[in-house]
Amino acid sequence: MDKFIVNIIHRPEMVPEYSATVTGQGKQEDIGDKALLTESLDIFKTQQRLAHENGLKVTIQMTYAALFNDEAVEIAKHDHEEYGDEIALSLLGLPCEEFREKYKTKDFCIWMFSMEDKKAIVNDVFEKFYEKFGFYPESTGSYYMDADLTNYIKEKYPMVKCAVATCWEEGPKAYHTCNNSWYTLFDGGPWAPWIPSKQNTHAPAANKEEDSGIVAIPHLSRDLIACYDGNGSNFGTHPQNVLRGMIYDTKTWEYPYLYNLIDQYRDLEKYNNGYAYNMMFVGPGWMNKMGRWEQPYELLLKSYTDGCAYYGKLKKEGKLVDMTMSEFADYYREKKGVNAGNYNEPECAPWRDILYGSDKQLFWYCDPYMRACVNMDQGGAIVDLRPYAAKLEWPVGIGTKHVQDASYPFLIQEKYRAGYFTHYAGAGTVRSAKLSYKGEEVDLCLCPTHSHFSEEMIDGKKNRILTLDPVEIQFYDVTVKLQTKEYFEEGSSNIKIERNILEISNPDAEIYLDEYITACYGTTEYPEDMTGITLACEGSDPQTINYEYKCRDAKKMGATAVSAVIPAIQTKVSLTPSAEAEGYIEEGYAFSPMFKLGYKKKIEEKEVFATWLNLEKAN
Amino acid sequence: MAQLGKGKLNYRCPSCFMRDLDIDMFYNKDTGIYSCIRCQFRGTEEQVLAGNEDVRKKYGAMYERFTKFDFD
Repeated sequence: MDKFIVNIIHRPEMVPEYSATVTGQGKQEDIGDKALLTESLDIFKTQQRLAHENGLKVTIQMTYAALFNDEAVEIAKHDHEEYGDEIALSLLGLPCEEFREKYKTKDFCIWMFSMEDKKAIVNDVFEKFYEKFGFYPESTGSYYMDADLTNYIKEKYPMVKCAVATCWEEGPKAYHTCNNSWYTLFDGGPWAPWIPSKQNTHAPAANKEEDSGIVAIPHLSRDLIACYDGNGSNFGTHPQNVLRGMIYDTKTWEYPYLYNLIDQYRDLEKYNNGYAYNMMFVGPGWMNKMGRWEQPYELLLKSYTDGCAYYGKLKKEGKLVDMTMSEFADYYREKKGVNAGNYNEPECAPWRDILYGSDKQLFWYCDPYMRACVNMDQGGAIVDLRPYAAKLEWPVGIGTKHVQDASYPFLIQEKYRAGYFTHYAGAGTVRSAKLSYKGEEVDLCLCPTHSHFSEEMIDGKKNRILTLDPVEIQFYDVTVKLQTKEYFEEGSSNIKIERNILEISNPDAEIYLDEYITACYGTTEYPEDMTGITLACEGSDPQTINYEYKCRDAKKMGATAVSAVIPAIQTKVSLTPSAEAEGYIEEGYAFSPMFKLGYKKKIEEKEVFATWLNLEKAN
Repeated sequence: MAQLGKGKLNYRCPSCFMRDLDIDMFYNKDTGIYSCIRCQFRGTEEQVLAGNEDVRKKYGAMYERFTKFDFD
């Protein structure tokens, strides 16, 4: 049976994020403000009521502060008994008088603490939870859970099986939107549930040995086009986020976008063996009686009421199953085949624009070896690539090299390192191809199209295939009709891109295809040091370039592979061809800190030429 | 002039919003003018609301209800 699952999560937060600073503007900070505590609890009660009125189960994530509030504890116990809600433990909502007194800090993001403090806080909150409820929680979470934190929790409290572990593409864009003051830097993770590896939370486990022991869920289900290009906090299954984005009619207070977003997620079951997922998690600060930005309380309340009502309606129609987090963890492991030993089933998401009125289409792919984004509006170019194959160990928090930056590094990121378009000099990161003829050159990035998804067994291996609608490349006196197919073979750690030359108006024309990847590495908009990268044309008589920003290149007919080893992210990326072609490597320069790998080949009508983009760990 | 404060609603700067910045504005109760402390925007409530409508112009499909999400 096809299933669309929703996790609805509430947290009784005694000092809601934003409330103390935003609505309390002009007052001295008072973390124990009794009026704030009463209001926070009222919001929690309202959220619980709205979910239950619509027949929806909730996971109640108790915050540390809530564990000191007897009424919050009693509500959780009551709703567990009455409605089957799960009582879980959040690592958000730490701030309260007790926490401040004990830890002598205003830090509140668990992943940013020192490892010593992480352990102390985990012990403290889990034991406090046990003291109040007489059992340990099976679910936990934060905006981000680093691998060391998860590993510690799992070692100390093995009953934990589910955690909110990242918020999709909440990174430099969110930081920017908040006037560079909101330090949630964790781009590069999965958008849908996954099993984090022990090495890196973002990178899914490839086998039992790498399995962290939890099922991770994202903080909200986010728009896979809008969040990639803009402020993520405007485009998710969080009704007040949609209001934050001003995506509502001010006269009618209607927001069809929220329902479009939920429905597009529902549609993803077609590409994931009959399974799709949503998560809604609205903190109490978003339903403040004082209103939030332009929105009065009445609109905030209406939006949450409508959100619950829509999920409730889907449930009544048999189109949705509501689960608690721990129930979902069990379901997920079974559904994805993990219980049978298969960790490789990918998550696939063809995604169309549902907000701006374009017909742009992306395809997101995630498995234990990579996260990739294919942009059909750019002829099927890969515009984002995270090499999970490296399973990069990347400790975060005070005392590590990355106090705040928890993002998984990219090789390609078209927003942070340009893509096809650059400002008149240098190159941007992208995996695409060019056709050339008599001095004219056309990049497939300039050939917008759409794709169709299919699943096929090829040589006994499961493949997810994108078949793009054919495009025409018009030169001065010749036209080429070309079709691209992209193959994601399960468990292979590669992407095969096939170009089918359907027609050439003049079959005698000398037309060349240049398959290439321009890449670098990083986690933000700013360049990293490329020194130490080694480029190679592999095969007999190999040629190599050690990166020194000298703008050098090398080529070799019949190269078996063209590759780059990037020690800083322990990654090797390479291209390999399906037929003999001229492999080439290009070093960048200071104004264009990139490298380029590619193959050039003369093409004929009806020819099919393929290249594989391969990712490996390189120690 | 007394210090700036908050208005009845916590309006953001529409000019900054257009460049993906959420910046709260502050309010002069004597003049009825909201002002941005990051950019040069100054305006009455009416002008702020008009700016917010301009913001929405980029959402060309925000009133549309989609029933098809693929291109098959």
